[in-house]
Amino acid sequence: MTAPTPAAGVAASLPGVKLLRRALLALSLASLIAGSLRLRGKGGVPPQEGGWRELRLPTR
Amino acid sequence: MNDRSAAESVDGFVAGSAGSPPIIGIAGAGVTGQAVGRVLRHLGVRTAWFDTQPGAAVRASRRHGGVVLDRSDDLHVVDAVVVTSPVPQYDQVGALVDGGVHVVCTSDDDADVALMLALQRRAEDAGSRTVVGAALSPGLSGLLARHLVTQLHTVDEIHVAMHGTGGPACARQHHDALAGRARGWHDGEWIERPGGSGRELCWFPDPIGPADCYRAASADPAILHRAFPQAGRVSARVSATRRDRLTARLPMLAPPHAEGDRGAVRVEVRGALADGARETFVVGAVGRTGDLAGTVAALYAAACAEWRVPVGVHVPGEHPDLDRRVLDGVVLAGVQLHEFTGVARAVV
Repeated sequence: MTAPTPAAGVAASLPGVKLLRRALLALSLASLIAGSLRLRGKGGVPPQEGGWRELRLPTR
Repeated sequence: MNDRSAAESVDGFVAGSAGSPPIIGIAGAGVTGQAVGRVLRHLGVRTAWFDTQPGAAVRASRRHGGVVLDRSDDLHVVDAVVVTSPVPQYDQVGALVDGGVHVVCTSDDDADVALMLALQRRAEDAGSRTVVGAALSPGLSGLLARHLVTQLHTVDEIHVAMHGTGGPACARQHHDALAGRARGWHDGEWIERPGGSGRELCWFPDPIGPADCYRAASADPAILHRAFPQAGRVSARVSATRRDRLTARLPMLAPPHAEGDRGAVRVEVRGALADGARETFVVGAVGRTGDLAGTVAALYAAACAEWRVPVGVHVPGEHPDLDRRVLDGVVLAGVQLHEFTGVARAVV
């Protein structure tokens, strides 16, 4: 194992790289939350034929 | 339809046919309360308004007629009271029941409704005719379920879904319900699931259409189980967006709509006909949420004032004849009822 070179340390501390890392972290968190929301629940079987019509109550 | 003909055409809800018209108190002059007042005025019933914000009661009385009460104790002298104030309503309803006043409450909070259902003995002792959960869901859902149950020989499942909210208090209750524990009756026992779980795409009558619905802490399963103990499974869902679910455990980020919005309820009943054939019936209603809830509450209040509701605590869907009378009144009040004519299966 070799120690990181001084050049690598400088690159990691550059403002642009830090911003990129934060953006990637934010995107990962957003994906995680969105994924968990989407995956929770099995969902139902939507009726795909038929429709609604006015209900007329039978006379008493 | 003019006011008089509307009143005359709803048999049993004609005020003043056998004496002076009853006076019905309305505790809560919000969106639902004003809908109650509007329907009662069409029926020829006199109203008395009370609200903890006196200005709201004054505005409602100017708009829909009736007198304004200064104190909640004044509600004890009217023929019946519709409680449309924000939940919890138990303390107010309990005091009215103890005073022998006939009460219709519109709460959809599970714990609140459980307490009010336990008022049975106190209502019988005081001679109070009380209807619990007379709004949209619960309320109209029970009436629609009763309509479907009468068409079946055996009933196995009742599933209710609701879309929309009435006034701001209703919207806050909807918000909290998604973060609560959702109870459901499942094969002979109560089960609890987290609110916001159990997504199901439910189709409501036009113009609402499809909406994702989730379990929520609603009083509807408790009300429906009481009215239809033979049903093996009872569940209730409410429509919600992903933002609703994500922010359910936070304070409401956006103020609720002051006047409510268009809403709908959908009731699915599964069971068997006399020949053993399995059937699934689906009916729904659409309209402004506050109007739907207020219409049901107003008609039950009129029934209480005319002693058509037995002494004790009752729920919508429990008495077939009374429920049918109220459902007829709902239709005559202009609520659109719809039945689903298709089959709940995907086209291959």
